[in-house]
Amino acid sequence: MTDAIVSIHNFSMSFGTTKVIENLSFEIKRGETFGLLGSNGSGKTTTLRALLGIYTATSGLLHIDGRPFTVDGGIRLGYLPEERGLYKKEKVLDVMMYFGQLKGLSSHDARKQSLAYLERVELGDKAHVRLDKLSGGQQQKVQLGVTILNDPELLILDEPTKGFDPVNRRLLMDIVEEHQSKGTTVIFVSHQMEEVERLCDRIILLKDGAAAAYGSIREVRKNFGGKSLDDIFLEVYGHKEVVNV
Amino acid sequence: MIGVVFAIVFLSNQATEQATQEIGNQKFSFQVFDRSKLIKPELLKEFGGSSVTSAAASIEAVKQGRLDAFFAYPEDISTEPVKVYANDVGIFNNGRYEGVARSLLQQSVTADVSANIMTVLSDKITTSTITYKDSQVYNGITEAIVPGLFLVLFYILISTFGNRMLTSTVEEKENRVIEMILTTISARTLIIGKILALVTLGFLQVLVTVAFIVIGYLSVRHQLQLPDVDLSRLAFDPVRIGSGFVLFSLSFLLFTGLLVAIGAASPTAKDAGGFFGVIMILIFGPLYALSVFISTPQAPIVQFLSYFPLTAPIPLLLRNAVGNLQPHEFVIASLIMAVTAGLTLMIAIHIFRYGALEYNRKVSLKEMLTRRA
Repeated sequence: MTDAIVSIHNFSMSFGTTKVIENLSFEIKRGETFGLLGSNGSGKTTTLRALLGIYTATSGLLHIDGRPFTVDGGIRLGYLPEERGLYKKEKVLDVMMYFGQLKGLSSHDARKQSLAYLERVELGDKAHVRLDKLSGGQQQKVQLGVTILNDPELLILDEPTKGFDPVNRRLLMDIVEEHQSKGTTVIFVSHQMEEVERLCDRIILLKDGAAAAYGSIREVRKNFGGKSLDDIFLEVYGHKEVVNV
Repeated sequence: MIGVVFAIVFLSNQATEQATQEIGNQKFSFQVFDRSKLIKPELLKEFGGSSVTSAAASIEAVKQGRLDAFFAYPEDISTEPVKVYANDVGIFNNGRYEGVARSLLQQSVTADVSANIMTVLSDKITTSTITYKDSQVYNGITEAIVPGLFLVLFYILISTFGNRMLTSTVEEKENRVIEMILTTISARTLIIGKILALVTLGFLQVLVTVAFIVIGYLSVRHQLQLPDVDLSRLAFDPVRIGSGFVLFSLSFLLFTGLLVAIGAASPTAKDAGGFFGVIMILIFGPLYALSVFISTPQAPIVQFLSYFPLTAPIPLLLRNAVGNLQPHEFVIASLIMAVTAGLTLMIAIHIFRYGALEYNRKVSLKEMLTRRA
């Protein structure tokens, strides 16, 4: 019996006549941190959205805990999308409590955990401030807090450190590592290879909708002659291609 | 706000009443040249005026300021005007001259007329009508008031909350929070939740408004001389009220679903707002044919507007209120609206679900209904 919490088999995705993902298959083991890598437009976000049922796959199977994902499927999910956004005209604490309660927390627990998190990320004094009064980085921290409020079993972070300064990036990495130590399965999408190498157990590198590399970091590096992930990325995409980007 | 309006009306009425009284108490000298032979000398004396046989001298006296006013009554009052020559005392106060000239003539003529003839001539006849339906006393107007309230309620709610319904689902798109929402709760739960919240808010708004009106009426009705409302004369027909409630509920659900669906397909509130005018025309356009719904309910245009879901609410609520909506028409129209409301809700959920990530463009209905991703 597989211990995969996420399994994707022969997944293909097309938008009209444009094929975005072609015959992609991989698994993510329970409790591991899995890196989903690739350049812009390689299909990372599309894969995540299809996994979460936001998109309907053209073909293939995408399962979380043995079945297609539904919001009432029983698994505690935390999803930080690449497209950031919260209810800007609402207060920080109100938004966090709203999502906490949507995720099944009681009003009391949602408030308690929200305040604890805000203190942790040095936003305790912003609890009653409107979100649009916060800086971009502060809003991102709030959104991360919303993502982990229900102590998720599966945590999906799509470019979580985008827009973060080094201090906040370190804070986020600490939070992810804490969840790792609790056995949370993490899907980590990032362009920052040093973060990937620090956090991830296994990775998949997408190019043109297909897997260009897949396996543990050690295996992948071995297959590419011991190169670093940065160099592997450059090799897969071709140096000229990356420079043009 | 309502209190401010009441205060302004009250103070304005008081000031006007005071000014009118002051004008009435003012005396002025006047002469009369009566070619109509209608002015009674004793009344003229009572009014403080005198009769002359030539107009020219009196007009000259007014010009010179030796006389306040001069009235020349023509031989044929029905074809010629009563001419009033007077000293100017201001736009508002000048009205006293005409008032006295009229009053003098009217009182002179009516002195010899019986009260009955006066009542008929001045069109002050009062009537009392009793109508019967199915051997029972039936007053069409009082019967229509309570069921008619559903029509008023529908109008108020759509006008007040229509735009809010339209933009209720745009918020998630504009704030880019859609992905987090769709991975936390289902689109159906969200849409239904929004609709229930809007309905609740709408009813609360109506309750608060009605409460203010009732309190205001009870507080200042005597000062503002508002008519008494005798609730005992209202009729409460349970069948008509029940069917009015059903029609109102279905209409409200139908249009809430429609507005929510349009909002879900629009990338921004501004884009969604463009559709609001069209929806308002569809809903309230039939009001322009109001008399037809009452007078000829079987007319083809009335039948069409009553069954076509997007125009049905006003005709149905109105016809139910006045009592010309037949039971089979009610059943058929209700079924059509119920099915349409259900379909609209399903479409709204589908559009929200699959149009969720179209942040920057308006998606066509065909694309939305056929899209799976």
